[in-house]
Amino acid sequence: MGREPGRARLPPSDRVPVVSDVFAQALNGLAYGVLLFLLSVGLTLIFGMLDIVNLAHGSYYMLGAYAGVTVLMMTESFWLALVVAPVAVGVVGAVVERLCLRPLYRRGPLDQVLLTFGLIYLFEDLVKWIWGGRIRSIPAPALLTTSVNVLGATVPSYRVFVIVFGLAVAVALWLLVEKTRLGAVIRAGVFDSEMAAGMGIPIDRVFTGVFAFGAGLAGLSGVIAGPIQSAAPSIGATILIPALIVVVVGGLGSLKGSLVGSLIIGQAETFGKAWLPGASMLMIYAVMALILMLRPQGLFGRPLK
Amino acid sequence: MARALGLALVVAAVLAFPLSVGPYPVKLVQEILIWGIFAMSLDLLMGYAGMVSFGHSAFFGIGAYTAALLLPKWPGLLSALGAPALAAALGALAIGFFSIRVGGVYFIMLTLAFSQMFFALTFQNAFLGAEDGITSVPRPLVFGVRISSLGAFHLYLITIVGAAALLLHRIVRSPFGHVLRGIHDNEERMQAVGYPVGRYKLLAFVIAGTVAGVAGSLYTQFVGSISPDAFLWTTSGEALLMVIIGGTGTLNGAWLGAAAFILLQSLVSSYTERWMLILGLTFVLFVLFAPGGIVGALRGRVGVRS
Amino acid sequence: MKAVTRRTFLGGAAATAVGVAGGPWVLRAHAQSGPLKVGLVLPYTGAYAVLGESITQGMELVFARENWTVAGRKIEMIKEDDEMKPPVGIRKTEKLIDSDKVDILTGPVHSGILLGMRDKVHASKTILIVSNAGADDISRAKCSKWIFRTSFSNWQPNWPMGPWVAKHVSKEVFVTAPNYQAGKDQLGAFKESFLASGGRVIGEDYPKLGETDYAPYLTKIKQSGAKAVYAFFSGTDAVGFVRQFDEFGLKQSVKLTGAGFLVEPDVLPAQGKAALGIISGHFYTPLLDNPTNVRFVKDFREKFGGKMPDGFACQGYDTAESIVRAVKATNGNTQDKEKLVAVLEKTEFESPRGQFRFDPKTHNVIQPYIYVREVKEVAGGLNNVPIDKVADVKDPGTGCTLPA
Repeated sequence: MGREPGRARLPPSDRVPVVSDVFAQALNGLAYGVLLFLLSVGLTLIFGMLDIVNLAHGSYYMLGAYAGVTVLMMTESFWLALVVAPVAVGVVGAVVERLCLRPLYRRGPLDQVLLTFGLIYLFEDLVKWIWGGRIRSIPAPALLTTSVNVLGATVPSYRVFVIVFGLAVAVALWLLVEKTRLGAVIRAGVFDSEMAAGMGIPIDRVFTGVFAFGAGLAGLSGVIAGPIQSAAPSIGATILIPALIVVVVGGLGSLKGSLVGSLIIGQAETFGKAWLPGASMLMIYAVMALILMLRPQGLFGRPLK
Repeated sequence: MARALGLALVVAAVLAFPLSVGPYPVKLVQEILIWGIFAMSLDLLMGYAGMVSFGHSAFFGIGAYTAALLLPKWPGLLSALGAPALAAALGALAIGFFSIRVGGVYFIMLTLAFSQMFFALTFQNAFLGAEDGITSVPRPLVFGVRISSLGAFHLYLITIVGAAALLLHRIVRSPFGHVLRGIHDNEERMQAVGYPVGRYKLLAFVIAGTVAGVAGSLYTQFVGSISPDAFLWTTSGEALLMVIIGGTGTLNGAWLGAAAFILLQSLVSSYTERWMLILGLTFVLFVLFAPGGIVGALRGRVGVRS
Repeated sequence: MKAVTRRTFLGGAAATAVGVAGGPWVLRAHAQSGPLKVGLVLPYTGAYAVLGESITQGMELVFARENWTVAGRKIEMIKEDDEMKPPVGIRKTEKLIDSDKVDILTGPVHSGILLGMRDKVHASKTILIVSNAGADDISRAKCSKWIFRTSFSNWQPNWPMGPWVAKHVSKEVFVTAPNYQAGKDQLGAFKESFLASGGRVIGEDYPKLGETDYAPYLTKIKQSGAKAVYAFFSGTDAVGFVRQFDEFGLKQSVKLTGAGFLVEPDVLPAQGKAALGIISGHFYTPLLDNPTNVRFVKDFREKFGGKMPDGFACQGYDTAESIVRAVKATNGNTQDKEKLVAVLEKTEFESPRGQFRFDPKTHNVIQPYIYVREVKEVAGGLNNVPIDKVADVKDPGTGCTLPA
């Protein structure tokens, strides 16, 4: 009579996955991976610098998306939203760090993690209070609403933009951290905060800045993901797990790990969805658990003490 | 002597409750007792052994589902308590064995991952009721009597929860408990002195997990159904909220934390839609300014001999 | 001397607090011949709060029209937020039944909560009018003579679409829904009638619930060569899927069809032009031109600041209308539950969706029509325009053994 539900069928068997089919999925995987990178880099940066797993990371992503919604409502400019949202969220991050996290530095990372958990509830309700519960949209800029042909595969131009933009951000971050004086200062502060403070570096302000920067990056990813995902009060909670998984795989605190990890997961998840559907939910948690058990520092993270 | 009197006061108040008011407040109290013992088991882990787990709901869920699957066919105490406790203990042994090796934030994330794996498993498993879970679970038979009435279940619940609470109190005061606290204070020193720190932590993890499993099973019996939501990492998070608001490392704070959470969720939500904001704010304020929770604050205020 | 230990103090404080908290509930439980108490278990916070709001507004419209009085009794609506969480929903249900002693219970949105409350409702002989949750079971194996449903069963909007899609769109369809039981049930109903009409399912995919990136699935759809897709998604999933479907340019070559929830007013604004041309099946659209609906839309928009009513508001309207008629028919007597049930079974009235009646065999609503609608740009923005309809859609009720 009917096919039993739950058993997804692969494409008809007389169609062998053609190279262009695989290539199309690989491009999907690349776009998704870059999106994951933008999403997780703030989280890994904050851990790398401040030793905090910011469970409210998803909330900053959500705030960025909503800031984007507001800017778009007022100015109809996606590009303006792309600039304003991260700054606004960065400010929020700075306030949170100054008021809530700084008093806890003495008390150790676990208390900080717990505090960020409480912030999840706070932000979700705040967003609902200010913007209401309806799902809001962030339309892609008019320039990027068509599809382009890349070596035989049709890709939405917005996704191409995401890839280019994300990789540019990756390069910029790397330059910032490795090649500039500011980056050196931050790295010194991370390596030995007492010594750095002793040398006259205003460690407190550096930490606030780093946290704000990480939050701002999360906010940026919220706007970038907007045309794909839209804004709703529930997105903060749902985005946290994928971000956590990426930083676990890549290695907490490692910028390189965040990029490599997200690209790998992007491909793995995309091909998993294409070829092994039905397994995706369990699989990602299983991968996360396996990595934490076998190699907790991930690919490029600091080895555990 | 005074302590026993105080305890008797509390027990009497809780016992007499069904006689004085309607069924709904009684059920709220019963739910507080169940979540309270769940939070208390987490306090053993957090407050005494120093392990912050975001996966404690895994054992709650294992106990709950075990009871839900067995009670319809075999309604005795073995299905109601024995099997769920055993299943949760085994689960804790397995998960603990792998998780204890890592500490700090990695432990947090690993326990979170395990808990979510259970969620994914039950959510997509038709035998376990998929996303709607298992419903129509009957109350168990205790010595041949089905404890369906409000009063009977109340008595049953208090007995089990009381026994579990007493057990946890005893453990904390025992030599084992002292070693745990030593490990919490300075793990390296305890290791250097020769204690098999890993084994102590694992045992604490299993005990906490077993009590959590009993709590889960009691929850299934209380409501008559269970759904995969029990496994969510946010359920563990709610238990954490209860421990912190009540007072980490106090055991009894768990009752207060559970009461605060459930009353906020049920009472306050009838008057304002912003109850989540209030909850989040309360939690943040407690972490910042009252790390000892309600119990800690009371100790400071009341100024009685400790 | 007995020192007041910490423990004593805490114990006493706790007991007192609990006792004080319990007080108000004792006072609340007053006699039956007072106001008509209608309980609502709905989400008022969370992602689905917009549904809870719409349903409530539909009910308020009817009660306000009746001046909040029926058969000499004042109507009192007691709203409880279930947060879409079964533990909370069940707790609130118990409160409404045991503490508030409601005469009639309504709600919920979440099928899990409905199934969790079912036994309690049945055992306590509380009359429950389901105003949203579509779990098929409530009209089948788990039916109860005390439970009525004014909304829909998951089967109803999907079954008529099978033959329609086979005849008017394509006999080769790719089906997709989120990977959970409700999703599979909805598609199951469609597939059954679609295959029976000579259709062929050339691909099936179940993305995870809460999926953010549908790209791999959309690429597969394109590669399958399907001319049509039948989809069930709701909430943020519906927004994501529809927008990405458009983003990937699939609309040029593939016709997107689905269950009505894919393009209901809770998601349509966020979907925007991406939703244009989508064909869906639902028992309602605000553009229906029967006089009751025209008046309903006008009154609703007047009362609620220009807001356009949706299927959920219609469900609320029909729930309240059933209550009002039943209570009038028994002259305000809600103590005699058997009589209320008998009267409810015979409910018949003009609803915005058409001629409303319950199926005495299952207590589920018999959809006067399932409308086939297409998203078009009309005066006032995007909306679901009815282009065809299937009459008298009744849930099969397999396994329900109610006394007829």
